[in-house]
Amino acid sequence: MTVIRPGDEYLAQPFWTHLANGTLHLSTCEDCNKAHHPPSPICPHCRSFNIGWKPASGKATLNTYAVARHAVHPLLADQVPYTITLVDLEEGVRLVSGIPHGMEVDLKIGMPLECKVVKIDDQLSLPYFLPAGAADQDQ
Amino acid sequence: MKTSIVGLGQTEFSKNSGRSELRLATEAILAAMADAGLEVNDIDGLVRYTWDNTTEAAIVNALGLPSLKYYGETEFGGVNCCGAVAQASAAIEAGLASCIVFYRTLNARSGVRYGRGERILSEEDGRLINRQPEPPGDIYSAPFGLLVPGQHHALYAQSYKGHYGLSDDQFTDMLGSVAVTQRAYANNNPNALLRDKPLSMDDYRAGRVITEPLRIYDYCLETDGAMAMVIVSRERARSMGVKAVDVLSAGQYIYPGSVPMFLYAPVTHTLAPPEAGEDLFGKAGLTPSDIDVAGIYDATSMMVPLALEDFGFIGRGEAHQFLTSGGNGPNGALPVNTHGGLLSEGYFHGLNTIAEMVRQLRGESPNQVDAETAFITLRGASSMILGRA
Repeated sequence: MTVIRPGDEYLAQPFWTHLANGTLHLSTCEDCNKAHHPPSPICPHCRSFNIGWKPASGKATLNTYAVARHAVHPLLADQVPYTITLVDLEEGVRLVSGIPHGMEVDLKIGMPLECKVVKIDDQLSLPYFLPAGAADQDQ
Repeated sequence: MKTSIVGLGQTEFSKNSGRSELRLATEAILAAMADAGLEVNDIDGLVRYTWDNTTEAAIVNALGLPSLKYYGETEFGGVNCCGAVAQASAAIEAGLASCIVFYRTLNARSGVRYGRGERILSEEDGRLINRQPEPPGDIYSAPFGLLVPGQHHALYAQSYKGHYGLSDDQFTDMLGSVAVTQRAYANNNPNALLRDKPLSMDDYRAGRVITEPLRIYDYCLETDGAMAMVIVSRERARSMGVKAVDVLSAGQYIYPGSVPMFLYAPVTHTLAPPEAGEDLFGKAGLTPSDIDVAGIYDATSMMVPLALEDFGFIGRGEAHQFLTSGGNGPNGALPVNTHGGLLSEGYFHGLNTIAEMVRQLRGESPNQVDAETAFITLRGASSMILGRA
């Protein structure tokens, strides 16, 4: 199965290296303590440049989702259908995520979700968000 | 604004133009200047989208324009279909130029397709690599398979459906009413790509699901071709003896997370806050009930119900009732996309949406309604009100 990878120059950045080490970290302001995403050199809340990385709690709610049934690239033909989600994290940021391939879950907008970091290889892990309980299942 | 649109020009809509984007652009520009009754050498300004591959330099050189006194770009593509007109109008009002052409040229079917992942993915050693810094299909969304604009629209659609608790059938009927109504308009429009293909509600329901909850008929058409329009001061327009259409109000409105692609906006079941409409209508001295016809940028059918609610043409959550009862149709309270829209006429990145509203106000639409005012928006990111001169 083909996994879409950010280029190596991106995978060397903290968002991805933290994930490769098994945890979701968020770009977070050291002054006002608020997180933001995507990562930025400046805090959009207090405009401080004092930005660091903090682990996310992993708790989120489902903002919306969509199920891709049409493959938009030939190498994705064996992946459809797959589910794309937008999730709102407890820290006040939104992430694009999804449901791991082959996993059946019932989704309802507003439902609570938990982060599960899924290892693809040594360089790449992805933060999926699953309904509480489902996150504990083995892949 | 104190400007007018005085000329429209376009190539045919097609799936394979067989010509370069530069060739298409120059054909459209010559046609627009002829429509305005102006000399090509009168052009002293150009505006375009940053996503357009054909630069102002290429146009100046290709047409041998004597001089350009203003040229400017607006970020992205269709997001700024009205923003580019606002920019041209501001430049004219500031005296930077007197005759500005807004053009868009794209081989978006035979060339790079916005609906395909190849645009933002490269194959390296059998792997798919993404290096996009921003949506659509950026490094934070592509690994989850969120790659093309149409998939983003499915996310907004599901958000709206969930927020208002519409059943599958209600949701299907709502969007089907957009697609079927617009196809009927296109069937009466000799320019439309799908003029010869009728679409019934049963056809719509049986349509292939592309990204749930959107079907094939909810999506716009990847199209080859070019369009151009000519903008001058209202004063000059009055002396030209052409059917001018006045820009009553035009502007841009974005906020954190709303661009590109709205992934990070605070709410996803509405795409423009009330202020966007209040600002636009306030500057025109009009209210939504004053508008006679609307051109709503329909990359997908979902943008129609959202814009109707976001700009106060109907109340929140009323789109299902409005659309399924024919409110957007020829005899409805607000005919919408009377050319067939991007869904059924073709996709010149919103310029053809503007052009149809200009035609309505000139009395030249294939689906003419009695119109003195027209409204145009791309989900509030840029919007415009036009008036009959």
